[in-house]
Amino acid sequence: MFSIKRVVLTLVLILGVVLAGCTPAATPTEVEAPAAEPAEVEAPAAEVEEPAVEAEEPAAEAEAPPATEPTTLIVAFSSAPTTVDPADHRDRNTESLIRNMFDGLVTRDATSGVHNELAESFNWADDTTLEVTLRQGVLFHNGVEMTADDVVYTFERVIKENMIEYPEAHTSPRKGLIAQLESIEKTGDYAVTMHFSAPYPTAMQMLVHQQVIPMGYMQEVGTQGLLDAPIGAGPFKFISAQPGYTEVVMEKFADYYGGAPDLEPVGPACVDTVVFRVIPEASTRVAALLAGEVDIIQNVPAELVSTLEQVPGIQIKTAVGTSPQWMEMNVNQAPFDDVKVRQAMNYAVDKQLLVDAIFGGKAEVLSGPLSPYNAFVNKSLQPYAYDPDKALALLAEAGWTDSDGDTFLDKGGTKFSFIIDTEEDFRAISEAVAGQLQAIGIEASVRIWEYSVIKPLLQAGERQAFLNNWGDSAFDPVGHMEAKWHGYVEGTTYGRGNFSGYNNERVNELIKLGEVTVDIAERQTIYDEAQQIIYDEVPAIFLVLPDVVSAAAADVQNWEPAADGRFNMHDVCIGQ
Amino acid sequence: MKAIKILERVLVSIPIMFGVAIIVFLFMRLTPGDPVDIMMGRGGAVSAGEIEKLRSEFNLDKPLHVQLWLFLTDAVKGDLGYSYVQKTPVTDLIRERLPATIELALTALLFALIISFPIGILSAVWQNSLLDRFSMAGAFMGISMPGFWMGIILILVFAVKLHWLPVQGRIDFDAQLAAGTGFFVLDSLLSGNRAALISSLKHLVLPGFTLGAGIAAILARVLRSSMLETLRSDYVVLARSKGSPEWNVVLKHALRNALIPTVTVIGLQVGVLLGGNMIIETVFSWPGLGRMVVAAIFQRDFPLVQGSVMVYAITFVLANLIVDILYTYLNPKIAL
Repeated sequence: MFSIKRVVLTLVLILGVVLAGCTPAATPTEVEAPAAEPAEVEAPAAEVEEPAVEAEEPAAEAEAPPATEPTTLIVAFSSAPTTVDPADHRDRNTESLIRNMFDGLVTRDATSGVHNELAESFNWADDTTLEVTLRQGVLFHNGVEMTADDVVYTFERVIKENMIEYPEAHTSPRKGLIAQLESIEKTGDYAVTMHFSAPYPTAMQMLVHQQVIPMGYMQEVGTQGLLDAPIGAGPFKFISAQPGYTEVVMEKFADYYGGAPDLEPVGPACVDTVVFRVIPEASTRVAALLAGEVDIIQNVPAELVSTLEQVPGIQIKTAVGTSPQWMEMNVNQAPFDDVKVRQAMNYAVDKQLLVDAIFGGKAEVLSGPLSPYNAFVNKSLQPYAYDPDKALALLAEAGWTDSDGDTFLDKGGTKFSFIIDTEEDFRAISEAVAGQLQAIGIEASVRIWEYSVIKPLLQAGERQAFLNNWGDSAFDPVGHMEAKWHGYVEGTTYGRGNFSGYNNERVNELIKLGEVTVDIAERQTIYDEAQQIIYDEVPAIFLVLPDVVSAAAADVQNWEPAADGRFNMHDVCIGQ
Repeated sequence: MKAIKILERVLVSIPIMFGVAIIVFLFMRLTPGDPVDIMMGRGGAVSAGEIEKLRSEFNLDKPLHVQLWLFLTDAVKGDLGYSYVQKTPVTDLIRERLPATIELALTALLFALIISFPIGILSAVWQNSLLDRFSMAGAFMGISMPGFWMGIILILVFAVKLHWLPVQGRIDFDAQLAAGTGFFVLDSLLSGNRAALISSLKHLVLPGFTLGAGIAAILARVLRSSMLETLRSDYVVLARSKGSPEWNVVLKHALRNALIPTVTVIGLQVGVLLGGNMIIETVFSWPGLGRMVVAAIFQRDFPLVQGSVMVYAITFVLANLIVDILYTYLNPKIAL
């Protein structure tokens, strides 16, 4: 089915060229704006300003006398949300959908800064006690005011066992996202106190992932009632859904409190109706955008970006990605048990070429084990430069030379030959890496697997190399470092995504220390050291961080895709 | 008598369903991949013990035979469990999705019949004519053209370029069709909602045609060859010599007898209509059962896959039964 996708994509590509041909040489529109240079670290800051300039406009529109015609915005997702219950999923698109109807104590801006939403202020009484003052006058969609009871209820429903009673009693799968929260108590009508089991440096980032639901309504209708008619305090209220949430329609909530005061525009949403629709096939999504059936599409594949760029009026928007890609090498098996060989692999791959050729410039080169946008990335690390001569020299030091003149390196009569295991989504980059390695005499080939099939083999240390990605949407090392770079400990979260067999005692220790250290400078020192060790011992070829690319029709205004994948439609307007 | 025979056939299919249930159950568990692990995704915090807890919640920590026993005893009571991912009873999920799939399958079948019958009959009557050659060339194309490819070409031409038909989906979101049977065409007729009727019919054209085209090609070829055979048979020669009008000879004497193999093929194609849906439903974002099953397989959502495959199996058994019953009408010599 996946090679199908390629044929289809090619076809759309052809169409794009035809379309572009039909129109007089289109001057690239805003498309150019986010130059894909690493200089982007600056750029997002500028982007945050941008909406502020336009902020006046939507606000004015909202107050204007009865709008001439109701505006509708249609967004196409690539996969279906699984529920509308904020406490019962572990899925990003589900969260994107839900956060248009439900607000949380805090939210993130497009570049992952955390801002108060339903909370007015926070105060850390000590390392494990967080006092929260709630905003007053916030209404749920049923007109009831939000109080501390709702917040306590919301969090208890997540952290206590078997609180979700439908269809069978079970515990919220989001408990793990706020695991250190031991209890929450009401301390006033608009005040709650949270007690954590240990110092929790990532508390603010993790609170973003919990949305408040109305207690009174829940006690009246239960979980099943919430699924039929979800009620939150978000900018849009639920109207209807098709089976399986393949289409969800919502309307502007006129009594919305306005959203995070730090993030302009503040006030009710700009558009009257928002429709989230699921179009799984990438080429159909693009076709629907071109045909004017939808206004915004999610997940534009890299192959289609340049095609869309040539269509006049289509806006291409990129957001910093949250899924860095690596080729992990099995450090417990020859030839990759030799650190020189692993370093050589890093020098042998031209990562910038991958960025340009495979991602059309819409990606960044990784310098180490963390995304360059992680809050605790080690800024002193530089990407391994592309230097095939140095790679060959290192390989020669490790004993790998072309002794028999067959253009392939060998050592003790064994040819340097290995398989890059990967998944269909990473086929192109894997083949490119294999090609570059072949150029210096390494016989690398690519094999495609389904993730759940290869994973047990990888964790058993039975494979040689695996090219894949791992998310860090919280932009914090927690959730990422322990899963990817800590040694594998069965049945725990440690090393659950570690496919290189890498296991360094000091790194393990630092990762655990970072989880409970609150002081920012101290945390930075801890993570800097951990990253430096991993960088030096290179259990992986640190490859790229692809941008997340979305596209919108010409008349969509004030829309910025967020780095954490959220599709916040509150700020977006439709106009000419 | 016939009623008893039919009942007998229905009873025989019960052990078949049991067999299917057990095989699907075992195959899903033999496939590598842990549903809980997939659910936790790649990235984000997962607390220790959370995975074990989910596994026990789904009964995945129990021995295989216990899991199978739980599944079967519940299934007999009509309870197919609930989806790991969507946390909704499987029977509800299937009931919601099935009308979309059936509506699309019926449309495809209708397209297939409308296209294949005239072509099949005429190309047999005018064997080796220009029409015969062209239509058979078309049939070859229809058979060999993959559905997803044809679907995307049709989208590009009729939706993106000409704007005649919608790219994807089942109905316009603002058609305001009141909930009813789940069959949108039927619902809009019942509620007299003209806008919804037009919208749902428009949305049916491209996927229905794409799905039906392959079947039309096969049917046209089968019908043509069996018509050629019956047109040469003695009773047709006799009918002609009695001076019966040619249309009467073709439709009444030849076609009726040529229908037996054709009906068999239609019966088999019901399976294709359901199975082929997975790809067509994905290309056209048709919210049917096929798309749900594909997603469920990748997520290793065992209860949902099991339940859906059971539905496919029941449909197959029923389609075969109906074909067998139809035989007895087409040819009274055949008994059930």
